[in-house]
Amino acid sequence: MLAYLLNLATLMCINAVLAITLNFIMGYAGIFSIAHAIFFGVGAYSAAWLALHASANIFLVIPLAMLVAGALSLVLALPALRVRGEYFVAASLGLQVLGVTVFSEWKSVTGGLGGMIGIPPAELFGHAVADPVQFLLLALCCLIPVLLLTSVLLRSSFGRNLKAIRDSESAAHACGKNVAVIKTLSVVISAMLAAVAGALYAFYMGFINVESFMLDTSVLLMAMVIIGGTGTLLGPLVGTVLLMLLPGVFSYMSFLPQTEIGSIQQIAYGLAMVLLMIYRPGGIVGSSSARPAKEKAA
Amino acid sequence: MNAITEHESAMQAALAPQGDGEVLLSIRHLNKSFGGLKVTNDVSLDLRAGIVTTLVGPNGAGKTTLFNQITGHLVPDDGEILWRGQSLIGRRHFQIARMGIARTFQDLRLFNQMSVEENVLTVMEPVSWIWQPGGRAARQQRLERVHDILARTGLETKARTRAIDLSYAERKFLSMARIMAADARIWLLDEPASGLDRSSYERFLGLLRSEVAKGVTVCIIEHNLDIVVGISDRIAFLDQGKLLADGLPDEVLKNPHLAAIYFGDQTS
Repeated sequence: MLAYLLNLATLMCINAVLAITLNFIMGYAGIFSIAHAIFFGVGAYSAAWLALHASANIFLVIPLAMLVAGALSLVLALPALRVRGEYFVAASLGLQVLGVTVFSEWKSVTGGLGGMIGIPPAELFGHAVADPVQFLLLALCCLIPVLLLTSVLLRSSFGRNLKAIRDSESAAHACGKNVAVIKTLSVVISAMLAAVAGALYAFYMGFINVESFMLDTSVLLMAMVIIGGTGTLLGPLVGTVLLMLLPGVFSYMSFLPQTEIGSIQQIAYGLAMVLLMIYRPGGIVGSSSARPAKEKAA
Repeated sequence: MNAITEHESAMQAALAPQGDGEVLLSIRHLNKSFGGLKVTNDVSLDLRAGIVTTLVGPNGAGKTTLFNQITGHLVPDDGEILWRGQSLIGRRHFQIARMGIARTFQDLRLFNQMSVEENVLTVMEPVSWIWQPGGRAARQQRLERVHDILARTGLETKARTRAIDLSYAERKFLSMARIMAADARIWLLDEPASGLDRSSYERFLGLLRSEVAKGVTVCIIEHNLDIVVGISDRIAFLDQGKLLADGLPDEVLKNPHLAAIYFGDQTS
């Protein structure tokens, strides 16, 4: 039971980092990306490759994984940010599909569909972090700075600019804000922090393959943010905890057919999303009132 | 048709631009089409420092389109826009805003989910990163200025209220507060008083007059003739993308030909 709880808590920390970083662009910059799992994957593959071929020292692996994800997000963000709204969603879907194809086909680096196995445990000051309790602490030590950093950024002028762009991009332009740079920076920061979760995941599982970075992961992360409350600091945390507890809760309900738990879980996610959108569009933590439609650009 | 064209030419020539201030913004032979529709047709206009110029004309005359071209939201097909001698053509809208040209929008485009205070503060911040130049002292100065602007626009008690939760008149004044915070040399105001009740409208006029007295140059799109008469130093009359007249308010407003166009009677 303790092992199960530790595993759940560690995965919650990793997913919370992802949900917080997705909320950073989705809730504050209004960039609805369904390619977040790709940056998670880039972080995981970069960390796994470094751990297998160079060093498992997290002070080396995590910054390098962040750099790779940041650089890649920059390359992809620049053309993608030229489109807005639903067009960006479509563009990010294209990126998600492209990323999955690269993960599954670039066999020399990613191991193809079979993935990468035998990833050594993370090293911290020469000590291998293999114990589940220690790894949970490591995951918490990554989650807290990510939460603090995003909180500081969002309370600063950068955060105000992000929110201004979300509310009216054309007005932000008219106020002298370089919207393209601010949006690109937000995507880069989000991707870099998502790579932290990727690196943690690779070390924790000891094995990664493309299955963990598919479209359903991106959709699940989006559901965590929306259910918790977009554009709120605590919303992604609440959404992550709720959605990760749900499978466990269902498996303890003996009257449910255990072979259909996966399907029941999907139905519950779907229902929760629909009901929330009707009765509490701001999410559990967010405002109870619906947001107005975004104003049209000039 | 020829008679009308001659009439227009004579009118433009007769109503020469007024005011002795420096020409801040000079529009030269500007053209813009959307498909086959000419929305700006060879428009030339000077906006001089310290002068309030009002753009009038029927709906669809191309007034907002002209603003959009000045501010870089639309790229003209042809012609030139000079800001103190420098061309604005090819510059991006945020660069034009940073040069000192600020605007409001007819549909306001406030930062709806942000507080009133944040709406104004965001405009004042010169850098888009975590730290602003000048440290705490500069931040304190900015906050004091925000509160001063909110007091002048009557929004001081609403500083923490989200923009979306304001009344219509308050939203209009927040739009004004935001442009006041921009420190711009010229304001382009797109129907700033439309829909205001009498007392709000009087307050708006007072606010605009006090800002103009401080040296702000203003160009307004306005349909309310009381405001047009009450605040304008010059009036530019546009119809179907063409500048038909540019001159003193009395001369333009008393012109029967323009009145006929404005009020929809083309036969007179």
